[in-house]
Amino acid sequence: MSAFYITDETVDEAVAGGVGVFAAGGEIDYAASPLLHEHIAKYINAGTRHLVIDLSAATFIDSTAIGVMMAAVGSLHEACGGRLAAVCVHGNVLKILEISGLQAAIAIYRTREEALSALALVA
Amino acid sequence: MKAQAATDRQTNSPSSALCLPAELSQLAAARTFARQAAAAYGLDGDGCYEFAYAVNEAVTNAIRHGLPDERGFIRVTITAEADRLTCAVRDWGTFTPPTEGPVAASDAAAEHGRGLMLMRILMDEVRVHTSSGGTTVYLSKVRR
Repeated sequence: MSAFYITDETVDEAVAGGVGVFAAGGEIDYAASPLLHEHIAKYINAGTRHLVIDLSAATFIDSTAIGVMMAAVGSLHEACGGRLAAVCVHGNVLKILEISGLQAAIAIYRTREEALSALALVA
Repeated sequence: MKAQAATDRQTNSPSSALCLPAELSQLAAARTFARQAAAAYGLDGDGCYEFAYAVNEAVTNAIRHGLPDERGFIRVTITAEADRLTCAVRDWGTFTPPTEGPVAASDAAAEHGRGLMLMRILMDEVRVHTSSGGTTVYLSKVRR
């Protein structure tokens, strides 16, 4: 069992509007999903265009956190045509992203570098 | 409040019950309880994860939409039978999820629907029993 945590990462200003990256690790349940929501809103309000949520260290993500990420897809798009991407390697978490439908709504990468290079190509 | 564990000796099937304060901080305890029961029953790693995942969703719904008993508890009971492991998550509310429409009426309903969908995919059987006395969600995983 591991507690939920969020760490801020660099914002790449080389890309127009900036690409925000943060890591959300541990177990992201309904006690944690409001914090995930607040964190995403903080990036969008700061003018971040694309956002990468690094779930490499996440071992659990519940339906409410999936809902937060689904909502973020629309918020980023409306704000300035931005995209949400995730980094995920944990087998069971990947399965949840797939069967919940989140994988159909956002791009999921194995590494942060892959996610950042893909977003850098988005005009 | 702390969760109270008890062993139910009234039935023939081995059963263990956890009375859980209806608080978000207790979700991790519910997952641990479910994961340990699934491992003791002999489900494999993925099976244990899926069982605990579905139990977490049911307990989350009970805390969000249901009502605890007069002491503030909801009840999680896990029963091991020869062919299946079943978790019953019981609360004292009578919430009926409006999940059948093409577009859910609210974010809360949409999230409730998503949780229920995940439970149905991950478990072999999901039954929701609602009466005037409350709601019980039964989650079963069949032994392979």
